[in-house]
Amino acid sequence: MASEQTGRSILKIDSLCKSYRKGVLVNDHVSLSLNRGEIFGLLGPNGAGKTTLVSQIIGIAKPDSGRIEINSIDTVADPGYAREVCSFQAQTQVPISGLSARQAIELVGAVRGGDSRAVRGRADELLRHLEMEDWARKQADVFSGGMRRLVAFCMAAVVPGRVVILDEPTNDIDPLRRRLLWQEVRNLVNMGSTVLLVTHNILEAERAVDRLAIMDRGRVVAAGTPGSLKGNGGENMRFEVTLEPRAELPATPGFLRGMVVTGRRVIGRLEESDIPEAVQWARGLKETGVAEEYSVGPITLDDVYLRLVGREDAVEDNVKGRTR
Amino acid sequence: MKRLLRSYMLMLKWQALSNKPILPLNLVVQLMIAAGFIIGIGFFYPQITPSTAKYLTTGAPTISLLMVGLVLVPQVVALSRTQGTYDYIWSLPVSRMVYVAADATVWILVSLPGVILSVILGAVYYDFGLHITPLVIPAVLLIAVAGVFVGYAIAHGAPKPQMAQLATQVIVFGIMIFSPIMYPIDQLPGWLAAVHRVLPVKYMADLSRGTLTDLNVDLGLAFAVVGGWCLLGFVATFLLISRRH
Repeated sequence: MASEQTGRSILKIDSLCKSYRKGVLVNDHVSLSLNRGEIFGLLGPNGAGKTTLVSQIIGIAKPDSGRIEINSIDTVADPGYAREVCSFQAQTQVPISGLSARQAIELVGAVRGGDSRAVRGRADELLRHLEMEDWARKQADVFSGGMRRLVAFCMAAVVPGRVVILDEPTNDIDPLRRRLLWQEVRNLVNMGSTVLLVTHNILEAERAVDRLAIMDRGRVVAAGTPGSLKGNGGENMRFEVTLEPRAELPATPGFLRGMVVTGRRVIGRLEESDIPEAVQWARGLKETGVAEEYSVGPITLDDVYLRLVGREDAVEDNVKGRTR
Repeated sequence: MKRLLRSYMLMLKWQALSNKPILPLNLVVQLMIAAGFIIGIGFFYPQITPSTAKYLTTGAPTISLLMVGLVLVPQVVALSRTQGTYDYIWSLPVSRMVYVAADATVWILVSLPGVILSVILGAVYYDFGLHITPLVIPAVLLIAVAGVFVGYAIAHGAPKPQMAQLATQVIVFGIMIFSPIMYPIDQLPGWLAAVHRVLPVKYMADLSRGTLTDLNVDLGLAFAVVGGWCLLGFVATFLLISRRH
């Protein structure tokens, strides 16, 4: 085994391609680099190729071409190394029927080579931090989907790998424990791990991640910090108008760009200097009974995401169609 | 080696705990099937003689062990494949064959009490003598392990998990009706007898008969053929579970 590198990047993916049987390219020249000690978000709609990418990192699937390196070691050639240094929370449910939460967590801790006393202590800590003590001795068969997922998270976090891969960790989890879970994810970084977080939940990702990549149709369509992705030249504000029911969309002024219509909501980007004019336009719509309300604020990652995953063209066509 | 053993013990614990809720029930079912089989053959053959009973009873261990290896194991694997269990298990830093070995151990241990019961009950119920040799231990273990590995190979080799489940139904039928376990191979049509001279089933029955009774059996050939199939099942299982999608 090659000696470990101490460079900035811990996980490097270079021009990775993966197709399944019918020739559909699920990952299309994906390149990513995760820095040590960061939380890196991987966002994208269903079918974007996120889980396929993760399967290749962990060595369950094999790329058609391209490279994956962890600590500068080629893990396509040596998937065993990937399993040693990565701990993984799968999107599918973990096989813990018949086990108590504590047994499941401690077993994985032991399997990952943890010392039994240290594993027990860490399991205690996780169960306490995630307010799961009452469930520690109960059999997983009676757990809700959310509770099973929390146990799965603990299994990935009990003896964390140098890279911890979490595939949709907050699905089905109640809001209170979600907050606690995010603290534990940050805690993993404080313990020296790097976290690759796969999620649909843009709002949560925006708060949790240091950097992120957005995938769509197998390709990385954007990567950077949440701030850098939101900065789109001068148009870093969002303007939203809610139309009255059955009102027709009026012609939109030129300073509103990237119009997206979802139901009665019309959202566009604009420059800060255009806000007064936009407010005046929206007031006019309200007075003439076209708009119910409007709002203005900084662009969110949600807006960036919607724009990037290729839905905007269709929506803009829709806008044109409805514009008088 | 020490690490492999540690992984094996941990996965064995995992499998035992996972199956804990159904293990006692499974054990009871195995015992009931074994006892039912022994008593049931008396209904098939009301005038059964001790020597016929000896022949039939000593085929029972092979049937019990094959039911576990070729039916239960593929069904459990098919269910695990459907549930995505392997997406998680294969991500752990444990050799995949170690996991399979731990899983197989649990199922073999569950099947053994039924095997022992069927032989003892048969001997007492039909009043025949047994001539047990020490070779019975490797013989029974070899039948069990060969069955389980062939079962894993079928279960992991089936393109869809449901196909493996369907295959088990065909296998049950084939073993119970068209295999020379409960009757001599000469009673089969020539072509089917030829097939069974290659398949391991007849030799598995020979192994249990040859080590439990004084019936004349070529044990060396039986060990060789079943051993060969065991190796084939092992290699096929290894190759199939080592695949990356």
